[in-house]
Amino acid sequence: MFQGFPEIKEALMSNKMQAAFMVAPMAIALRAQGVPVKIVYLGHRYGSAVVVRKDGPVHSVSDLRGRIMAIPSRFSDERLIVFRALAANGMNAKKDLRMVEMAPPDVAGALAAKAIDAFSMGEPYPSQAEIGGFGRVLFHAREYWPDYISCVLVVRQDVIDRRPEAVQVLVDGIARSGMWLDEKDRAKRHRLHAADFVGRFYYHQDPKLLRWALTNPIDRVKYEPLSPRRSDFETIVNLMVQTGVLDHAIPFEEFVDTRFAEGAHAMTAWKYEAGDDRAK
Amino acid sequence: MRKLIVAIGVWIVAITAAHSMLNVNWQVLMNDRLPEADRKLNVAYIPVT
Repeated sequence: MFQGFPEIKEALMSNKMQAAFMVAPMAIALRAQGVPVKIVYLGHRYGSAVVVRKDGPVHSVSDLRGRIMAIPSRFSDERLIVFRALAANGMNAKKDLRMVEMAPPDVAGALAAKAIDAFSMGEPYPSQAEIGGFGRVLFHAREYWPDYISCVLVVRQDVIDRRPEAVQVLVDGIARSGMWLDEKDRAKRHRLHAADFVGRFYYHQDPKLLRWALTNPIDRVKYEPLSPRRSDFETIVNLMVQTGVLDHAIPFEEFVDTRFAEGAHAMTAWKYEAGDDRAK
Repeated sequence: MRKLIVAIGVWIVAITAAHSMLNVNWQVLMNDRLPEADRKLNVAYIPVT
């Protein structure tokens, strides 16, 4: 587990890590810089929000003018959604707002301490600010960006070339987990269970936080569809060029390999309920 | 003098054992020694969606 995206980028480039979940624009920028990696799948859809102080003066997007907002990285969808939301309200994020990069685990504390006026971040940090009673969601990403993407699964090209079967196993597992989390009639039960074991054994966070993020409401974060779609990524590339973090548009095929998502199409949800020995 | 050397030796062994149990990820070390085809992929993530 890492605490920030720059460290993940370094670990991937040095082959300490062979695959990584990272924000989509960072993966695209890496590829544009010639780093041999490809996006093979998505981590989720939605699950990002702009949060302001609960008792603060910001009640609408236009109130963000002149404020300080934390984002996870210059190369993040959380930054792009701010540009998009401000543009929809006749503003320009470059001129009307001061954005500062901050490690995701630090933003809720910074908001509580009034070091920042707002943050744009993925879950569970918006939930943390809400539960803590000091933050209020100004808007969720879905309000300005249908089918919004944040984290994607990136794999080193040498691993794709030499061990495609291992990459397929990884993608199949993520696909099955996504279907399990979004399974009709059982989604809430599965999400509550996931919040418990992910909170305790992977994120080392209070499961109460993940329970809130995964069920309040149930589609706050979605895990289907996770196949990388050309139109979604063209939107991201165009926004990156417009906002000055990418010199020129690069073609979809150059940074996405769709074969593993296609290979996972026939997958079904894990058969697993709380108390079972293992998933099938 | 002998007591002191024994105490230092016990202390070093205890600290080394505690360090290797608490701070060394043996699963990762063992995985890195396997042939490439048998190795598990290391997947990086941060505690965020």
